[in-house]
Amino acid sequence: MTGPRRPSARVQLAAVFRKEIRQTVRDRRMMFLLVAAPLLQTLVFGFAVDFTVDRVPVVVVDRDGTDLSRLHARRLLADGTLRRVGAGADLAEAAPDATRGPAEAEAALDEGDAAAAVIVPPRFGAELLAGRSPEVQVVIDGTDPNRSTVAGATASRYFGEVAEDLARARLAAAGRTPPAQLALAPRILYNPTLQSPPYMIPGIAALLLLVVTTIVTAMGLAREREMGTLEQVLVTPIRPTVLLFGKIAPYVVIGFVDVLLLVAAGIWVFGVPLRGPLSALFVGTLLYLLTTLGVGLLISTISRTQQQSFLAGFLFVLPAVLLSGVMSPIRAMPGWLQAITWVNPVRHYAEVARSCLLRGAGFGDLAVPLAALALIGGAVFALAVVRFRTRLG
Amino acid sequence: MNDRLRRSLVRVGAMASKETLHVLRDPRTLVLALVMPVLMLFLFGFGVSFDLDRVPVAIADADRTPASRELVRRLTGARELVSAGEADPADADRLFRRGEAAAVLVVPSGYGAQVARRERITLQLLADGSDVVVANQVLAKADALVRAESRRLAGVDLARVDPPLQVKLWTRYNPAGRSALFMVPGLAAYILAISAVLLTALTVAGEWERGSMEQLFASPVGRLEIVLGKLAPYLVLGMLELLLVVAFGAAVFDVPVRGSLALFLVVGFFFLVGMLGQGLLISVVTKNQLVATQAGTMSSLLPSLLLSGMVFPIENMPPALQLLSRVVPARYLVHALRGILLKGNGLAALWPDLLALIAFAVAVLALATARFQRRLA
Repeated sequence: MTGPRRPSARVQLAAVFRKEIRQTVRDRRMMFLLVAAPLLQTLVFGFAVDFTVDRVPVVVVDRDGTDLSRLHARRLLADGTLRRVGAGADLAEAAPDATRGPAEAEAALDEGDAAAAVIVPPRFGAELLAGRSPEVQVVIDGTDPNRSTVAGATASRYFGEVAEDLARARLAAAGRTPPAQLALAPRILYNPTLQSPPYMIPGIAALLLLVVTTIVTAMGLAREREMGTLEQVLVTPIRPTVLLFGKIAPYVVIGFVDVLLLVAAGIWVFGVPLRGPLSALFVGTLLYLLTTLGVGLLISTISRTQQQSFLAGFLFVLPAVLLSGVMSPIRAMPGWLQAITWVNPVRHYAEVARSCLLRGAGFGDLAVPLAALALIGGAVFALAVVRFRTRLG
Repeated sequence: MNDRLRRSLVRVGAMASKETLHVLRDPRTLVLALVMPVLMLFLFGFGVSFDLDRVPVAIADADRTPASRELVRRLTGARELVSAGEADPADADRLFRRGEAAAVLVVPSGYGAQVARRERITLQLLADGSDVVVANQVLAKADALVRAESRRLAGVDLARVDPPLQVKLWTRYNPAGRSALFMVPGLAAYILAISAVLLTALTVAGEWERGSMEQLFASPVGRLEIVLGKLAPYLVLGMLELLLVVAFGAAVFDVPVRGSLALFLVVGFFFLVGMLGQGLLISVVTKNQLVATQAGTMSSLLPSLLLSGMVFPIENMPPALQLLSRVVPARYLVHALRGILLKGNGLAALWPDLLALIAFAVAVLALATARFQRRLA
């Protein structure tokens, strides 16, 4: 009414958006960190993260040294889950060696050269042929529970099979029909060889997007507060809400660019399939960005310095990453912790990305995680906008 | 000479007490720096576990005889797998997409009759391979359960024969296979990497941003003295965090301390010095808090999470990454801490780790101080 009229909201928004985009793009280092770094991290992540437990280093102490004991040792290692290491590898092959014993196996475990030791007792072959039951000892380094479970299961499974086959053969030799036998034929869908990258890359995209958008927004706004530049802009006719949206818009664009880059890298470098409709992934990404940017905004309104907002950002990012199901399955968590993961946006976005890319899920299948993302994103963003306006208005 | 050293120490002390005041006057940062380790330990200890039970498996029983129902009851009755209801094999896709089941077990028609005829029977398991961890476990569990069931079916006959071969499994160091014992040493490295690198990077970059670094240079305090004085309080904070993590790990997750506590502190000290030096180097190069955090995340946080062997074994990585992991100090810390805490290793087994940590600390501090000095000339 009085004085010059404010420009329309659209003009204001466009002006702020232009300024922010220019400011962000002009900062080469920032652009590198926002675009190139996530891509680089995905490549490292993709190659580093491997859930397949194989080539577990094993010391074989063959105190029998007969053809039979050597045959079993070789067959035990045949599928590649266990890998023979240490001097035991050559010595035991070369000559029967009764002096090398459990003490040496323990030393190898202590020093971390081996993760398991298989000790074949003296007279193993002779006792087996004579129908007595020799005892094979397997000592496992339990430090890494995942690896020790696999190593233990491989050894006990192999010797269990040998024992069962022998028992059946003896029954047959005694003239009786062996009993029925069950076998399991697995057929694995979506990722038949159970490669880690197709599973990890969609999750990694969720993590990197979180780190880039939340912490950068939180710190960027805290920096403006430190320098007083927000107040300067507010002296102009631009409204706080418009300023807020204009500031956030570049990060939405960067977030989408990052997702596209990561998915492309996943497809071309790691063979991640793209089975679902991309539109579902896009809607999911938009709702997810609403949350991550909203949290960044909220943090900036409660912290005074960049250091504080960085730490607060981390306090949000770390639990969100750990409880997202990206690194370890949600089903393995205790019940109360599983309940908490429902309010974790990373969990839902990782679910959307994985299900869409790998399983080919569309909007119908993803209704639950998408709705959850919309709910969380809407609530967080609304709260952030209100707080931001009261802080500046 | 002694006098010069004494005066120099006084100046370092003055810098350190100024920096300590900064930290103490900002209780939010202090609380966050001390709460974060406890929170993370808590989450890691409870949240990061790869051991699943009660995995939902849908059942497609095409036989529907008492024998097949008995089989299903036995396979889903244990703690490992639970039934997610009846399903048609054709529904597998829909079930997996909605996350309602992790696998579908198909019992062939004629199962009961085949058991009676003592034949070899193949059960089919359709597994959702999109979640690799879950799929691996479902396959292993189902395989073990089917074998057990096979033995049970055979029980009467095979029991008459002596077991031809026995296997005795022993697990050392962590017999219960608890993830927390595995995680806590790794977590210590991770927490120290975050707080040491990032806090120093932020605080020093902050001084550049605000221009107060130039004021410091105008004072009689030397460059090296500034560096040492600035790092000292964070060194103390880092050591506090390290002790907090181990104390909390011992109290809540029963993480043992089998080796020497002194060696533990020495190893932790050199790792911290290296991390602080890295933070300093980053801040000198970037001079900007925002860029410094991202650079710190890239160069310390992710490598110490991914390439340290904390969660993912180094042996499984491609050779290039294994080589890269050799310059990640967290790798040596994780190895040394696991050795000290879980195995009770001494210096005899761990000297290569300690040496590597010292080498890294010396190299990075020298580089940072050199850059720092050149920057101002």
